[in-house]
Amino acid sequence: MPINISNAQNRDAVVAVETLYGKREVRYVDAKGEPTANVRVLKADSEHELPVLFKKHKDLNKVAKALVKDDPEIDLDLTGMFLTDTSKVYVSPRGIVHLVEEFELVYEPDGELKTRRPRVKTMQNMNAEVPVRWTGKFIKKEEAVRRFVFTNTKQVVHVNGLTFDFLYQMAEDLAKRDSMLLLRGGDKGDEPIVMNRGGKPYNAFLEGRVRGDSYCLLLHMSNMELKRPKVIEE
Amino acid sequence: MAKALRLSLDGNEFEVMITRIDRDDLYGRVEVEAFDEKGKPATLKILAADGKTLIEKGGSALEVVNEKGDSIDRAEIIPVDLDGEPLPKVESSFGQTNELSTAEVDNYLGLVVKSVYVLDPAEESNIDYLTDHLESGQMYKFPFSYRGGIEHDDAYIVGNGKDAFMIIGKDGEVDYLRLNQAAVLEPQEEQEISADEISFDLL
Repeated sequence: MPINISNAQNRDAVVAVETLYGKREVRYVDAKGEPTANVRVLKADSEHELPVLFKKHKDLNKVAKALVKDDPEIDLDLTGMFLTDTSKVYVSPRGIVHLVEEFELVYEPDGELKTRRPRVKTMQNMNAEVPVRWTGKFIKKEEAVRRFVFTNTKQVVHVNGLTFDFLYQMAEDLAKRDSMLLLRGGDKGDEPIVMNRGGKPYNAFLEGRVRGDSYCLLLHMSNMELKRPKVIEE
Repeated sequence: MAKALRLSLDGNEFEVMITRIDRDDLYGRVEVEAFDEKGKPATLKILAADGKTLIEKGGSALEVVNEKGDSIDRAEIIPVDLDGEPLPKVESSFGQTNELSTAEVDNYLGLVVKSVYVLDPAEESNIDYLTDHLESGQMYKFPFSYRGGIEHDDAYIVGNGKDAFMIIGKDGEVDYLRLNQAAVLEPQEEQEISADEISFDLL
């Protein structure tokens, strides 16, 4: 995934971000020692779910008898099909709909409805015309880890020799400060980072480390403080 | 009733109760409702690659397959380490004393976070020794498994003020990059994501 990012001198470049994966020390094999894989398969499509069967038989007992007798819940052509390249669509009683009006129902932590408002899909600002901004706002790493939960971490990676120098310098500056840099996006450089259109906004922090002639630049995303929730009164 | 987790720090043993917390507990949640052009409610479904098969929530399942794509019974699969050696089972962390070791901030920052818990002293237990050390800037870790199984997760104990938290995840594979380790940028298309993933106003 590309990111358009600027440095302390307000020079910008498009580089890559890669997901940070947990160390994987386990794999699964079959009885012959051959590798196995997990795949998602179809159990039943919408036309074979209970509401459709109930509509057809109009009685749960009749549905039960049909299940025993004829297996109407199974489509022999489709059931077990590997599901790849699926997409999410809105469906109304009229079928698949392409134009929907969406509303957000915002609830307080105690479950009380706070507001209902039209949903506005935020544009991604990680690889936009305006680069993600080096705000010059630093927070000590020691403090950041005690204040925020970093729910999503990515590694920033160079794409050529020029951007190697660009990112190495950033990492070195941050390592010397022993601090993280708050990043902001958007035209005014004051918005949280949004990776995909309509996606979650994050407070993003850049952390740098260097070791000899190599560097490590981590993009830590947080949408949650490390704090105790308020006690909700019954 | 929830079980207590026994921890040990510098030979001092104490029991804590853990309570999972997430963003919704702190800030609330957002649900999305949608309507078609006629005002009829619309719901999200999965559309298969054939462009016509619609799948409800719960209409799919995960299967284990071999290299040929044939289904395998889960009871027949064997967990092995990277060298192909069978792995011993790990015990649940609740049935034992868990020794805390000092952790470094840089290691913690490489954690791929799965879940967050707030810690409270179990009945008749005192965790002042732990919280005092956390307040002084210490951070601890230990291998954690909720129910036991194949492998441990990494658990970090971090303090904020008087509160203690346990952050569970997997230590990430953080790479130091050299000049010859450049990434290849692929053209990126904007992607619509699920309304389920929209859960808040951030700031």
